[in-house]
Amino acid sequence: MKPILDVENLTRIHGPGCPACLEVTGPEHDTNICRHCGSVVAVADASLRLHKGEVLGIMGESGSGKSSLVKMLYFDDKPTSGRAIFHDGGQAHDLFALNEAQQLRLRDMRMGMVYQNPSLGLNFDISAGGNIAERLLMSDELSYRAIRAKATALLTRTEVTPARMDELPRNFSGGMQQRVQIARALSTGAPLLLLDEVTTGLDLSVQARILDLIMELQEVTGVSMLVVTHDLGVVRHLTTRTIVMKQGRIIEAGLTDQILEDPQAAYTQQLVSSAL
Amino acid sequence: MHPVDTMGQNREGAEYGFAFLDEDAKRELRRTIFKAVCIPGHQVPYASREMPIARGFGTGGMQLTLALLGPDDTCKVIDQGADDSVNAANIRAFFALTCPGVTGTLRTEEASVIQTRHRIPELPLRADQILVFQVPYPDPLVVVESNAAKRRRMHGRADYARLWVKLYEDMVAFDEITISHRYPTRINGHYIIDPSPIPRFDVPKLHQAECLYLFGAGREKRIYAVPPHTDAIPITFNDVAFAVESFRDKTTGKRHVCRRCGADDSFLDEFPDNDGARVFQCSDAAWCDMRLERLEAAE
Repeated sequence: MKPILDVENLTRIHGPGCPACLEVTGPEHDTNICRHCGSVVAVADASLRLHKGEVLGIMGESGSGKSSLVKMLYFDDKPTSGRAIFHDGGQAHDLFALNEAQQLRLRDMRMGMVYQNPSLGLNFDISAGGNIAERLLMSDELSYRAIRAKATALLTRTEVTPARMDELPRNFSGGMQQRVQIARALSTGAPLLLLDEVTTGLDLSVQARILDLIMELQEVTGVSMLVVTHDLGVVRHLTTRTIVMKQGRIIEAGLTDQILEDPQAAYTQQLVSSAL
Repeated sequence: MHPVDTMGQNREGAEYGFAFLDEDAKRELRRTIFKAVCIPGHQVPYASREMPIARGFGTGGMQLTLALLGPDDTCKVIDQGADDSVNAANIRAFFALTCPGVTGTLRTEEASVIQTRHRIPELPLRADQILVFQVPYPDPLVVVESNAAKRRRMHGRADYARLWVKLYEDMVAFDEITISHRYPTRINGHYIIDPSPIPRFDVPKLHQAECLYLFGAGREKRIYAVPPHTDAIPITFNDVAFAVESFRDKTTGKRHVCRRCGADDSFLDEFPDNDGARVFQCSDAAWCDMRLERLEAAE
């Protein structure tokens, strides 16, 4: 199996930071706030590898740093230190060594992101089709008819009726907004998809259909995914491998069924046993 | 070079130097113009000076013109095609007052510097002429991004996808692109400019022109340029052609003509005559007069 993403010692500290920050925070201290300088250690020394066609889960309670990690990989935030190598088309891109234009180009064409809150991933002032068109236009598709056809196909695939593609997404239900977001993320055929709490806040039947959709799309396209969630059901359904985060650290990593059946870290045991 | 100091010698009681602005201000403007010409389409910031009219009434264009004029220049001022509107007449009078030696003219072919509001003359301009635009909103991205710092970065990266999204939304809603003026135009393959509120009809005149086009936004403190022989392409989709106003009658399908000179290829103003009937007339008054003169001479 070939790797598509290699993350090495990624660290993000909010605040001034001091040499002791990493030593006095973490699960063993049960805090992510440095008592010397007051900085918040969002992510510390996170390393992971994602293979081509793999779905990797990132699990943890809120504030554990899982979203921070994904945001850095999507250039929404800058890391304090660490590296991430994105293997794409025979090239290895050192993500944080690229300049801003290169980063955004990579992000627009070769990555997709689905946020928990559709208002982050979608522009509510333009139509659903326009949201998808924006991504296509960023990747230099300048034919109106081709954009229309692609947007229709994508929305059909994500089970949004094309009859509503010219409506504003603000008029859609939460589940439909999430489907439009997924269609937008898929539009450029990117090999890497980042999903941040995609089903949180949706009712159970809609959750199930969104998860089915994601699994189906993954099987058809073979796209690699990083799935951030605090929901054990999502992890069980979607992922083959999982890492568990707490207080900004990766405390456990392994095959999903192994982690769910035989958790090693105390926190993971608590997490698994507290599932309703 | 223009004369450095003629303070107090212009006319009796004059208290300003040649061309109203002080020499430092003119130097800065000229330097800014050079930079704007060197980076076609790039909005160069400058220290817009106070003028004796309010910002928003053409102060950007006036400052450019004042920095360009020398005593042997001939100057023309256009407002929406006409030379005789209040705005144009007063600005021309101001130039006559503050730039002794400069000749005012109404004829496009005689002028060396033409200041214009929202039209490009019908008569093709020559290499020895400069057209100065008054610009209310210099940044085409302002409709899609409200943060000025982000807009500057977007220009740097040529990140204009969201302008095309506007066109897409137009096509979805109306089956055509409905931008009538301030049509976003890509200069020399990189920067997209707001060509000031000229109609679509005038946008193709920016492309590979003989003359220099200078744009001055006084309130927004920006100067940009489309140099001669530079590509200026209005943005559109590959399969949706850019189209100018056709002036075709909806019922007959025939193109309207100017009621004065009979021109069938100029930009027309539509207005009701004294009997309430719709009439059409050249928007460019100098062009219309020139055609009339030629017609009379031919008779």
